[in-house]
Amino acid sequence: MKTGKELKPGTVIKLENDPWLVQKAEFTKSGRNSAIMKTKLKNLLTGYKTEIVYSADDKLEDVILDRKEATLSFISGDTYTFMDTSDYTMYELNAEDIEAVLPFIEEGMTDVCEAIFFEERLVSVELPTTIVRQVDYTEGSARGDTSGKVMKPAKLKNGTELSVADFVEIGDWIEIDTREGGSYKGRAKV
Amino acid sequence: MKASWDIFCSVVDNYGDIGVTWRLARQLVAEHQVPVRLWVDDVQAFVPLCPEADASAAQQWQQGVEVRAWPKDWQPVEVADVVIEAFACTLPDSYRLAMKARETPVLWINLEYLSAEDWVSGCHGLPSLRPDGLKRMFFFPGFDAGTGGLLREADLLARRRAFEQDPQARQAFLQGLGVFAADNARLISLFAYENSGLASWLDAMATGNTPTHLLVPQGRIMGDLLRWLEIDELGLGRVEQRGSLTVQALPFVRQQDYDRVLWSCDFNAVRGEDSFVRAQWAGRPLLWHIYEQEEDAHWVKLNAFLALYVKALSPAAAQAFTGLWHAWNAGSDMAQSWNGVQEHWQELSEHAEQWCLEQSLQADLAQALVLFYRNWI
Repeated sequence: MKTGKELKPGTVIKLENDPWLVQKAEFTKSGRNSAIMKTKLKNLLTGYKTEIVYSADDKLEDVILDRKEATLSFISGDTYTFMDTSDYTMYELNAEDIEAVLPFIEEGMTDVCEAIFFEERLVSVELPTTIVRQVDYTEGSARGDTSGKVMKPAKLKNGTELSVADFVEIGDWIEIDTREGGSYKGRAKV
Repeated sequence: MKASWDIFCSVVDNYGDIGVTWRLARQLVAEHQVPVRLWVDDVQAFVPLCPEADASAAQQWQQGVEVRAWPKDWQPVEVADVVIEAFACTLPDSYRLAMKARETPVLWINLEYLSAEDWVSGCHGLPSLRPDGLKRMFFFPGFDAGTGGLLREADLLARRRAFEQDPQARQAFLQGLGVFAADNARLISLFAYENSGLASWLDAMATGNTPTHLLVPQGRIMGDLLRWLEIDELGLGRVEQRGSLTVQALPFVRQQDYDRVLWSCDFNAVRGEDSFVRAQWAGRPLLWHIYEQEEDAHWVKLNAFLALYVKALSPAAAQAFTGLWHAWNAGSDMAQSWNGVQEHWQELSEHAEQWCLEQSLQADLAQALVLFYRNWI
């Protein structure tokens, strides 16, 4: 069983015997310490997509999935091709299937991802918890802060924007925590 | 035949849950002529809102609403056409099973908490598919057209205006509560949770130039008030004077009378959800003590509302108003921010009325629920 709070992209839950893939999950606190999870679900049998809200403590039946290591091979339009590193099999996913991790997918990335299979069909991928990306653009340090507490916006090669420490410069490699939408962790040693 | 409605209310703390559900139930009956059963797990908490109610009755009719005690040992009843689970209180298992077994589908609604945050309109009206095959709809009150709106009786503003235009009615009402304020006194109501900032606010009012008569309905702020007054008790009818400030306790009054208290005052400090909404309908400047949440989640909600509310104010007034709300909710010193607000009193008063009018252009929550049901069947 999974609770509403535990839903995340790549989770598959069973509703009336149909498997539904969580494509997106947004957690928000509602009132008096309760919370809700807004999800985007895809029925893996029919392809039907819908938006659903769960209370954080709703109990849901999850489906046990196969997981394999895979790397990104190439991107062609909205199609993302991943390769099973154990047998070199290629699998395709469209952008919507990996909407949650899309901001951190870019050509040439070498991260070893977890490919998620439902009945031998690739349905989603998960990125490692920590990834390293290069800053493509950011303004110069405004205050000369070296504590890492003052933040400023930065852009990655694929256009994704996130907040980084004030001392980060263009061309720096940074570590990103990919959980909950992705956040700056620190400067990476490359 | 009119659809039947069941509203389930679990009283967690204070009077917010029962306040909102009782108000909704009454309005559905009065304005939409639908049969409503209000299930309350603590009827005792209902009595202060409806003094005619019998705390020990398993079933009673109050103002057209069938009020039922929600027993721990649930006994089977016929399932209603529309089931409202207020604030994610959990329905009895056997009731839920009966909903599933029912031949005609039931509209199951989770009535959520009020918030001005952006995500609310994106979640309002969305379903929740459950493993048991039942579907629960999420219904969010709110401040813009993409939400379920706010609870507001159809004649509320007209009643308020009639009251405002009748000084004798106001005077008689206040006198009925034992309030004999000086003609030149500014009237302020104070309904709040415990707040360490209270003493500094009272100091500021006591040392200010404007005579102020503070009305304090029974509630959790009373301890802080007594400490400041340095007395053990503030009985009803007793008036305490400190400088320019007169302090008086009010009894816990029924909802209709609390509205009149708000309409009678020049400024209202409110708390939680129900009184917060009613203070907005009063069209007076207000101060909201938000329900404190884990991880400071309440600050996000407070600021989301402030961002909406102060948008049409001048920058100076917006800053003063925001400063006051922040100080109050942080429990910090109120003197500076209270004095800052005085400089914008006229603008804040006009804005409060304008905000009220703007919000009244939205469909009210009860009406929105009825429409939601009509569109669903």
